[in-house]
Amino acid sequence: MTEKAINILGIESSCDETAAAVVRNGREVLSNVVSTQILVHRKFGGVVPEIASRKHIEHVMPVIHKALTDAGLTLQEVDAIAVTYGPGLVGALLVGLSAAKGLALGSGKPLIGVNHLEGHVFANFLADPELEPPFLALVVSGGHTSLLVVEDYNTFRLLGQTRDDAAGEAFDKIARFMGLPYPGGPEIERLAKNGDPAAVDFPRPLLPGCFDFSFSGLKSAVINYIHTEEQRQSGFRREDAAASFQQAIVDVLVKRSQEAIRATGLKKIVLAGGVSANRHLQEALAEGARAAGAELVHPTPILCTDNAVMIGVRGYYQYLHQDFASLDLNADPSLKLGE
Amino acid sequence: MKNWPGLSWPRRAGKVENVLTLGIDTATRVCSVAVCDNNKILGSLEVNVGLTHSEGLVPQLETLLKLARVEKEQLELIAVSRGPGSFTGLRIGMATAEAMAYALDLPLVAVDTLEAIAYNLPVAGVRLIPVLDAQKGNLYVGSYRWEKDRLVETEPVRIAAAQDLAAQLQAGEGPAILMGECHRVPGTDNCGQVTLAPESARLPRGSSAAILGAAQYVPGGDLHAYFGMDPFYIRRSEAEELWEKRHPEGR
Repeated sequence: MTEKAINILGIESSCDETAAAVVRNGREVLSNVVSTQILVHRKFGGVVPEIASRKHIEHVMPVIHKALTDAGLTLQEVDAIAVTYGPGLVGALLVGLSAAKGLALGSGKPLIGVNHLEGHVFANFLADPELEPPFLALVVSGGHTSLLVVEDYNTFRLLGQTRDDAAGEAFDKIARFMGLPYPGGPEIERLAKNGDPAAVDFPRPLLPGCFDFSFSGLKSAVINYIHTEEQRQSGFRREDAAASFQQAIVDVLVKRSQEAIRATGLKKIVLAGGVSANRHLQEALAEGARAAGAELVHPTPILCTDNAVMIGVRGYYQYLHQDFASLDLNADPSLKLGE
Repeated sequence: MKNWPGLSWPRRAGKVENVLTLGIDTATRVCSVAVCDNNKILGSLEVNVGLTHSEGLVPQLETLLKLARVEKEQLELIAVSRGPGSFTGLRIGMATAEAMAYALDLPLVAVDTLEAIAYNLPVAGVRLIPVLDAQKGNLYVGSYRWEKDRLVETEPVRIAAAQDLAAQLQAGEGPAILMGECHRVPGTDNCGQVTLAPESARLPRGSSAAILGAAQYVPGGDLHAYFGMDPFYIRRSEAEELWEKRHPEGR
């Protein structure tokens, strides 16, 4: 090896996972530690911000220490500290961010502020070693549904995004309405496996003349349907409702992605965000992309949900770009893509 | 009161003479940091203009060390104010302090915020009552008294309705000095027993956290003993309180 390896310590605390990881040269995972709070929040039916922040402060240093230990490195041996500064829950973000800044001040290592959504997109560099910009990205999570062009490692162009509910939010709200435990996405997917996706013809909202999404109408239609069938005691199958709802969302995402592939002529599209773990979406989008002339890349299951590896990967490319943050970096709960 | 402040603090076994300590207090709107060589305050930097600690704390620490001519590698101990206070403020201070301690291989001690405030005022023969906002018209209330040259907690930290406090203190024995966020206590004008601490001694100070922390510090033991440490919240989250109200049968 001729060039010195660059080791980035990534830290992530934007929602309900406290995570740290060490990534070498943006493509090699030396360690990946995640402390999840899913069970803590389950009885509340969703993430409680104050409880999430309390869990983060409890776990943040042990998680960072384990990430360094697993990587066989000391803090002095990492080249920079990359941390999520948005978007997310502000109180949760501030724990990881404060820890990262304390580490940076104490060690003299540079600080890199990472956009959580860009991190999700960059998780795909680990799934596909050959992946290089430009490519399309479909970000689908509890808070976001966006289509963007990754023009180079540091330039992102937004094509469209949701105007109301994010796709993952619709999953979570329907799941909650059906009395399924948090997090609702995987529960809907599980239920849908035994259902008929063509049983109910839910609306597939496609706003004309743009790449934007809108899922609140679909969400209301599903809730109305279930409500009405329950009142009528029609004996409808919940599995069918879940499968039909999931199919409607997937159809919209696939159709919009195909339009974007054709409009840009790009040959690769990557899937990112928590909902990218949905197998049905992965399969349908792979097929849809192929039909439109592009190849789908999606992260390995472990990197679909929140993690710090993706923050380390994104941080590596910001390191190469000398995109360092000053020590007054604040959390930005509504940080947009490409900012 | 002789040997103020701190040198005559009761010694613990193995206590070292001089500990270069960095003190951090972000429990309130004040962001106060100080570096102390045991009882000597080498530098202290306080900002109280409502800036977010998330932005200001780390640059403030950097400036403090530079102005006080202290290399961060020279530090021997970090002391952080652990609450009660603003939940988010406490976490910013604690996460920063823990991470600095980790990066510099330093021990970390956490001190009670209200005790550190009482420590600002070396006045014997009075009840020192530091108070901080506990939301919804409530206050966190501490009760301390100097006995010889020791600061003693006379009542555990409690939560009280702000509007009742002045009368409670008036009914108590001997003069009382309100400290902390005194402006949140109404009706003190009519209470002859109750006075307000001067502005200069009223609010949390990083130097008091540092000096108290150094006095509490016992060398040796696990360097990472602070792993898993929580702020001193006193209150549970609102969501938990509500959930327990709705589920009296328990978990």
